[in-house]
Amino acid sequence: MALSDYQRDMEGCSRCSSCKWVPFNQIKSWRFAKNCPSICRYNFHAYSGSGRMIIGLSMLTGRSELNDHVAEIVYRCQLCGACDTACKVYRDDIDLTEVLLELRAHCVEQGFLMVEHMAAIDALKREDNVLGEPKAKRGEWAEGLPLKDINRERCEVLFHAGCRYSYDPDLRDTVRGAARLLLEAGLEVGIAGAEESCCGGRAYELGFRGEAENYAEDLLSRVKASGARILVTPCADGYAHFRYLYPRMGKEIPCEVLHITQLLERLILEGRLRFREEVPFLLTYHDPCHLGRMGEPFLGEWKGDKLQRPMSMKRAGRKGIYEAPRNLIRALPGAELVEMERIREYAWCCGAGGGVYEAFPDFASWTARERIEEALATGAEGLATACPWCVRVLRDAAQEMGAELPVYDLVDLVLQAAGIAEKERV
Amino acid sequence: MAELNMLLEKLASVVGNENVSTAEDLLSTYRKAGTVEGGEPLAVVRPADTREVRELVKLARAEGYNLVFSSSAPPRLRGDSIPRGEGIIVDMSRMDKIVRLDRRNKVALIEAGVTYERLIPEVDKLGLKVLMPLLPKRGKSVLASCLEREPIIIPKYHWDMTDPMLCTELVFGTGDLFRTGSAAGPGTLEQQWAAGAAQKNPMGPAQTDFVRVVQGSQGTMAAVTWCSLKLEVKPEIHRIRFVPDAKLERLIDFTYRALRPRLGDEWLILNSYALATMVSEDPERIPDLAGEQAPFTVVYGVSGYQYLPEERVAYQERDLARHAQAAGVSATAEVPGCSWKKMERILASPSPEPYYKMRPKGDFLDIFFLTTLDQAPRFISVMEAQAERFGYPTQRIGIYIQPIQQGRNAHLEFTIYFNPEDRPKALELFDSASRALSEAGAFFSRPYGAWSDLAYARCPDTVRVLRKVKDMLDPDHVLNRGKLCFEIEGVS
Amino acid sequence: MTTATLETWKEISEAAYRDLENAVGAENVSREPAVLDGYAWQPTINDDPAKWVKRPVAVVLPSSTEEVQEVVRACNRHGLKFKAFSTGWGVYSGPTYDNVVQIDLRRMNRILEIDEKNMYALVEPYVCGAQLQAEAMKRGLNCHIIGAGPACSPLASATSGWGVGWDGVYMSYGHRNLLGAEWVLPDGEVIRVGSCDSGLGWFSPDGPGPSLRGLMRGSTGALSGLGVFTKCALKLYPWPGPSRVNVRGLLLDAKAEIPENVRFHLCFFPDRKRLADAVYRVGEAELGYLATRTAVAAFIYTFAPHLLRRIAGTRCLRDVLSRGVKWGFVIMLVGASEEEIAYQDAALRRILADHDGLSIEAMGVPAIGSMVFMNFFRVTAIPMVFRMGGLFSTALDRNDTWDTQLDWAEIGESIKRKWIERGGILDDLADNPFMALYESNMWAHCEEIFQYDARDPKHLASLEPMFIEFSVAAIEKCMEPLSATDARLRKIVSPLMGHYNEWQKKVSAMVDTNRAADTGMYCDEVDFDFSKVEPELKAKLDRLVERFRWTEDGPPS
Repeated sequence: MALSDYQRDMEGCSRCSSCKWVPFNQIKSWRFAKNCPSICRYNFHAYSGSGRMIIGLSMLTGRSELNDHVAEIVYRCQLCGACDTACKVYRDDIDLTEVLLELRAHCVEQGFLMVEHMAAIDALKREDNVLGEPKAKRGEWAEGLPLKDINRERCEVLFHAGCRYSYDPDLRDTVRGAARLLLEAGLEVGIAGAEESCCGGRAYELGFRGEAENYAEDLLSRVKASGARILVTPCADGYAHFRYLYPRMGKEIPCEVLHITQLLERLILEGRLRFREEVPFLLTYHDPCHLGRMGEPFLGEWKGDKLQRPMSMKRAGRKGIYEAPRNLIRALPGAELVEMERIREYAWCCGAGGGVYEAFPDFASWTARERIEEALATGAEGLATACPWCVRVLRDAAQEMGAELPVYDLVDLVLQAAGIAEKERV
Repeated sequence: MAELNMLLEKLASVVGNENVSTAEDLLSTYRKAGTVEGGEPLAVVRPADTREVRELVKLARAEGYNLVFSSSAPPRLRGDSIPRGEGIIVDMSRMDKIVRLDRRNKVALIEAGVTYERLIPEVDKLGLKVLMPLLPKRGKSVLASCLEREPIIIPKYHWDMTDPMLCTELVFGTGDLFRTGSAAGPGTLEQQWAAGAAQKNPMGPAQTDFVRVVQGSQGTMAAVTWCSLKLEVKPEIHRIRFVPDAKLERLIDFTYRALRPRLGDEWLILNSYALATMVSEDPERIPDLAGEQAPFTVVYGVSGYQYLPEERVAYQERDLARHAQAAGVSATAEVPGCSWKKMERILASPSPEPYYKMRPKGDFLDIFFLTTLDQAPRFISVMEAQAERFGYPTQRIGIYIQPIQQGRNAHLEFTIYFNPEDRPKALELFDSASRALSEAGAFFSRPYGAWSDLAYARCPDTVRVLRKVKDMLDPDHVLNRGKLCFEIEGVS
Repeated sequence: MTTATLETWKEISEAAYRDLENAVGAENVSREPAVLDGYAWQPTINDDPAKWVKRPVAVVLPSSTEEVQEVVRACNRHGLKFKAFSTGWGVYSGPTYDNVVQIDLRRMNRILEIDEKNMYALVEPYVCGAQLQAEAMKRGLNCHIIGAGPACSPLASATSGWGVGWDGVYMSYGHRNLLGAEWVLPDGEVIRVGSCDSGLGWFSPDGPGPSLRGLMRGSTGALSGLGVFTKCALKLYPWPGPSRVNVRGLLLDAKAEIPENVRFHLCFFPDRKRLADAVYRVGEAELGYLATRTAVAAFIYTFAPHLLRRIAGTRCLRDVLSRGVKWGFVIMLVGASEEEIAYQDAALRRILADHDGLSIEAMGVPAIGSMVFMNFFRVTAIPMVFRMGGLFSTALDRNDTWDTQLDWAEIGESIKRKWIERGGILDDLADNPFMALYESNMWAHCEEIFQYDARDPKHLASLEPMFIEFSVAAIEKCMEPLSATDARLRKIVSPLMGHYNEWQKKVSAMVDTNRAADTGMYCDEVDFDFSKVEPELKAKLDRLVERFRWTEDGPPS
């Protein structure tokens, strides 16, 4: 696909600005009524979903040209999908996120790249992760755990740790804990260790599509080799790309794909994982974009006139993962869930996605601080989420703000309730 | 003198000799009103139609004379129809046609000279009612009352400040004819009626709303020859209730609670003296009757209309009783000297002659302005302090609070009753109290007489723009010259 | 209407740009063409096939009244024009000249005050209807939300646009809800309309003496042609329900917890007369929190456009929907007490019975009531108007009696039917009026909605001929057509209505000596190119103009 393939989508923009707001049924206050970090931070219409579509149309019709400034507008966006969800409440014929992705690919084709993104892509090419950490150390997080090495043996569950969990020392206990929980439940868990590589989704989002396809091929071959019946990942980014991007590229993963929260929920329901200890907190939950609205599985490509596209084939976030993490919180002994105003399909982004964390850390932090404010407004004693990128940026933001609001990876709370490994608790 | 005679001839050429008068007894009614004095009316002319009104305005422009439009019969209360210096009075009372009454669309189209006394029975025949201010003068022009933004007594029907006036026909100070609202066209009134329209949309035409500029302008922007007027359905069942109480704050609380869900029809608050003045036609009896009243009384009406009238009244009364209980007050069907039936009659009619505010002492002065209901007690304290300062018994001040715009704000009116020989003292109190109230935040939205200086001193930016508007609509200042903030050199 | 090209567009001068930067800060000004095009793409209710309006020379994002003043003064100094908007919905927001600085007011986004007792809110331009409603509800209040939907700015509709909405029966009209406004005039000076200019609060909109509210707008606003409104006080209305209506889902999957004091009736009458009469009685009984006549086909079009497409091709279903359930009326009742809602419900049923009407109590049907409640209460389904083809436009005449508006719905339907048959617009079964009552049916409103796909050349070619056909029909009915935004139509219509535009030009000249405001949607006049209009229609228009043109003595009889 190319940008020009989406000209009808762009021409279809009525400039109604629904893309800037939480879907109207769900606006609950003045303070938390907006959904798009980019337009909220930079204010010119060009920074909204609609505005970026108009940029695309303007360029395609020869009214304006791509330059560094315009490219930067394209990149100052987390690709969180909130605009797309809000637009699709009303429209069948506009795939806003796809336009945003095509704009990025167009920028890359035309050579308008962000230095920080190039660094990430170079790192990816060199070390198979976007953080630039040594590939050889990718599996170190699992040292000492009785996990199978899928490079040598087959397993029931293939555990894909993801880039950030593999290397972020602050999240080391979490990712180990996730694996321990699966083992505790009696599952036969395998990992690829140093051979695990990035899912490639971030590369795709930055406009580097070829790289993404390569990584998809790579993962597919590993899954096949492992014989796993379940691919599970604690990384929401990875989950979304496995469920949406890969099938869309024609790379259907030949086993069940689950996010860790889904598998943990299942294990609890099946009685294979039991809670022994109290987690006496009032918690609020942040829906990671890639687990929620962007975590919706690929619904198939509609080939005809999009005005005729059935609802069931419209990527509107309805089938994202919203209940599993909430059910986990509800299952925690002593814990209580209080919701923020912007949740589920219309959750406010943490700020880290779409290459913003790498290229515009101040914008990522601004976005995260807004989410912390929203969490604080609930009166919650803790903010739980289920994505390493969200945990990272929200934790940093809370610290910067001096907010007394611990940010938990949901796995850590489950570990505590399950009473596993004192030293690895939160 | 010769110059005047020439002018009179020219005026007569427009309206006919019989409609030009320089009779002293007539001219004298335009020399003073309220606190405004010093008018020098030269003649009174009585046009028959819009064409003559336009001719008069054109003549005034050509000759440089000041035209003061007047639609109501005496007594003159506010001074807006008293010329500042010399002026020709244009008495609109000949234009007294009720042009159209439309039951289905609840609307009347009336000329400027139509009085409440004339209109009410005609409207009543259709099962409709006129939205009235409190006890208007018997000869009060309905259109003039609307133009002066006199508050109507049913707040739920007062959606906006132009109510109940809808569309108008204007003759600007330029002599140009204009129609506002949906009367503007295309088409004549007759053509519009044939198309099903009834001049019910009060806004526009297009992107200006000149009726709002003309309303409240005391005749300085345009003459208004006719207007459409919204009417309401006459209830099948109608009851009046009184809520007397010693504490105004409790009654205000009750009023807020009741008006929010649009309970009640008529709704006003009176102090004991104002209530006694209204209900007693015997001046001697007023002080005693006032003494028998509670310090303040809410007077309200409840209505049932065509559909399930009993049920409507029943739910309104139940809800009102709940709100009354919550506010710590209670309703009765009568107060000393007045049954609810009597009050119903009083509220449904113009004032008997002489005008009811003349009853206690023979003369009176009103001070009124807009505020919000919750601010009313504060202004009352200011007024009482002023009365005490001037040795005027505070319990003899009339206080009338009329919620408007569905309770969002209120017309607050103080009445100083006095014997005509005490006028200088009353004027002192009036001047001082007006100033004190203005300083305390009274919004003199209808700035008659000296209030215009007080009011416009607070809003120089508004004045700057208003003067430009005046120059646009009345470039030669032939309409009620020198009034409001439109002073011109040489006219005091 | 401008056929916008970039041929005449020029970059802003350095000196002017520096002044704008000084006014609002460098980060809040842009002259980047791609950014500017974000303001030049204005397809909604734009009957110009180009869809691009004039590209502004710069866009600014002021954060305060003072900054707006500085921007306006800079425009005056440099011979530029300005055009402000709040949320930017519709073609009215865009420039009509080549040298326009677009003032995007989205940084002025606060609710400054809600006076619960006296029922008003003081707001800035970029507060949207949904936000104000959410905050008002916490205080037992509600606000008028216009037909363009909850994304729109209540300030914009009250000061500068129109102000129509389904809740008008209980919550009036934008202009009439105004209690005061802060107004930056085209010369950069600021005035305040009403009691606020006297420093006495925002409770009263008129006076002392004449009201400047009459200058700032009429039934339509000046659409920035007279300056910029930076705050305003708006009436709020009672909401005796919960502080928040809990809703699951986003729209078509919505499940709302409908308050117990709400009833929602979908009523049908056997013919127009009985519908018309019944609605007059509803007004007299003072019933209704929301009210509209909506054809069932329009309902289906709103909530199930795919289904409507199928129905449109099925003759028998078409007939049932177009005729069998044509005369429908939607009314929502809200009671402040159990007794009140019981009374309202009973009175409505009695009116229905007297006029042979039937009611489906939609709230009682879980899937429907739950789904549509927020559509009416918050007007959330309105952007669905874009769903069928991407765009819509509207045929508007002036508001007056309910009878005239029912006429207009039928006239609109007949014109639409012809264009549907020609393939010039999408098929929504033709009868799709947006109707509302105001102030207990003191007056009423109707606009005939039609949908089209701007990507279809045949549809684009239909827009202007349809526009003139609707306009001629309105004039024939003694009604003002939608002339406010169209300098061509204004030139035709103004002489039929007291030459109102001569006065608007005078108002403009009075407050805007440098012609700094973009007056394309206020008082400009442009000749209409009739080359694409059928000769018979043009001849009819000429006859009407001849018939209605005001003479020195007023409208010719």
